[in-house]
Amino acid sequence: MGHAGEAVSVAILTERLTKVYVKRRSLREIAARPFRRAERVTALAELSLETRAGEIFGLLGPNGAGKTTFLKILAGLILPTAGRALVGGIDVARDDRAVKRSIGFVTSDERSFYWRLTGRENLEFFGRLYGLSAAQARSAGRSLLRVMEMESLADRQFMAYSTGMKQRLAIARALLHDPPVLCLDEPTRSLDPIAAKHLRRFVIERLNRERGKTILLATHNLQEAEEMCGRLVVLDRGRVLRQGSVAEITAGLPGKDRYVLIVSGLVSPPADPRWTLEVERRDGAVVRMSAAVDRDGRAFSDLLRALLEGRGTIVSCARREPSLQEVFDMMAPDEERSGP
Amino acid sequence: MSTLRTLLVFLKRDFLIEVSYRTSFLMQAFGIFFSVLIWYFVSRVVNAPSTTPGLEGVDYFSYVLLGLALLHYLSSAMMSFGGKVRSEQMTGTLEAMLVTPTSIGTIVLGSSLWDFLLTSIKVIAYLAIGRLFFHVVIRLDSLLPALLIIALTVLAFSGIGILSAAFVLYLKRGDPITFLVASASALVGGVFYPPEDMPVWLGGWSRFLPITYALRALRRALLRGSRFADLLPDIRILMLFVAVLLPLGIFAFRFAVRKARQEGSLVQY
Repeated sequence: MGHAGEAVSVAILTERLTKVYVKRRSLREIAARPFRRAERVTALAELSLETRAGEIFGLLGPNGAGKTTFLKILAGLILPTAGRALVGGIDVARDDRAVKRSIGFVTSDERSFYWRLTGRENLEFFGRLYGLSAAQARSAGRSLLRVMEMESLADRQFMAYSTGMKQRLAIARALLHDPPVLCLDEPTRSLDPIAAKHLRRFVIERLNRERGKTILLATHNLQEAEEMCGRLVVLDRGRVLRQGSVAEITAGLPGKDRYVLIVSGLVSPPADPRWTLEVERRDGAVVRMSAAVDRDGRAFSDLLRALLEGRGTIVSCARREPSLQEVFDMMAPDEERSGP
Repeated sequence: MSTLRTLLVFLKRDFLIEVSYRTSFLMQAFGIFFSVLIWYFVSRVVNAPSTTPGLEGVDYFSYVLLGLALLHYLSSAMMSFGGKVRSEQMTGTLEAMLVTPTSIGTIVLGSSLWDFLLTSIKVIAYLAIGRLFFHVVIRLDSLLPALLIIALTVLAFSGIGILSAAFVLYLKRGDPITFLVASASALVGGVFYPPEDMPVWLGGWSRFLPITYALRALRRALLRGSRFADLLPDIRILMLFVAVLLPLGIFAFRFAVRKARQEGSLVQY
């Protein structure tokens, strides 16, 4: 049941959305232990979130966090066990076909096209499945191939495309019916760094800023999430660890910020309990160090001051983003995450 | 109307894929011709008189030609639905189609249409080759009843085929029913020899198979030119099979889709 108010500014709303998979038992297991209860795996545990229309919202988490399950529930491929998910005010469990008209779903699975058809033929076929007329499908396909800068490749068989092209065609397919919401499931997973960067810029500038699409991005790449998402939710084993902007999420974390410093002319590294310095490489008078600095607001400034006062010249200073694993470790230590 | 248009889109897709294999049509045409040729020579060895019980008063070659033609429909109807679901699962295209607003029923039906069309062309080719090169007498004045019989046969087999698709969706593997029905149809359904010539304990099973009635009626219509009234008893039984098997298949398919969505295994294989 939709809420009229939600449809205006809220693109996606979930309330205590839960998915529990019941593992199917083999005949051998059933024969061995006929009365044993089948194992249950919680993929999503009471996930509540709200995505505003026109924002890029991230789902960040390692494999098995529940990101894909969440996207597949929105796409109507999986039914939730409990709770509800609304897209544009429509409950996905009640009217999945209406929801599918307002969602474009992009998987990272490059097999999901007909390899012997051309890019154009593929788009026209899927356009018809989205309910477009033949003329509309042709026109939308042509226009999207232009947007994706694939016009010259449109009449090549899909199997001849590079991985980057396949991914761009997958995005084009998801846009055929011009949906307000686009779900991207690890879209840069199999791309090289240049193609991945190109794709990220394309999503931000052309799809989000120019076309105003609401983007739901599932990724396990923290840098990608930081670059693309205004807000995000960090998931682990179906549970929400944190929600907010990347700055909000990492700000309150315990631990230290990490930097890579290249300093020349330094007599001896300054010591202070608020930081630890580790020399990684020494090249004459130039030293490359890694620094772990307390997050107290002043420690980093004091470190730089101490380096300068020690007659050092700071050649470069770069912040090293924590890896996803480090963020998870900071948010919830292993023993806590392993649960009861 | 829009569903019909969507179904035609699937036909176009499969046609484009088919013609992308350049020699495919040619090879299939040769295959049909060789198959007819082989059975022609087999029939010369068999040389069964047309008075043999169950041969419906026709020569053995004409008898087996109709059997082969209908066996193709049986294979298409029973294998196509499940087979297409499985192949689309494995190529990853099923998921891409399921995220569109097109219903899964339309997707499965649409994906199977090309097989049916191709089978129809093959059946016409069988009969045409038989008539042109081997002088089989095909009674075109009974074409309408023959088409009705074929339609009912396809619908009845499709019920089993849709049941097979339900098995594939839910259990992720071919079902035992299709194998059983296909094997039993070939063994006792009157495709290659009349069930009347078999021991009663074995041939008696033929009465539980739709192909028995379909073949008898089709041979009477196309080879003997029987009147509609004479075909009616077999047509009624075929209708009964359709009334039972088709709803059963559709019910099982809906159940399987719901269970697979609950389990999150709709696109797994």
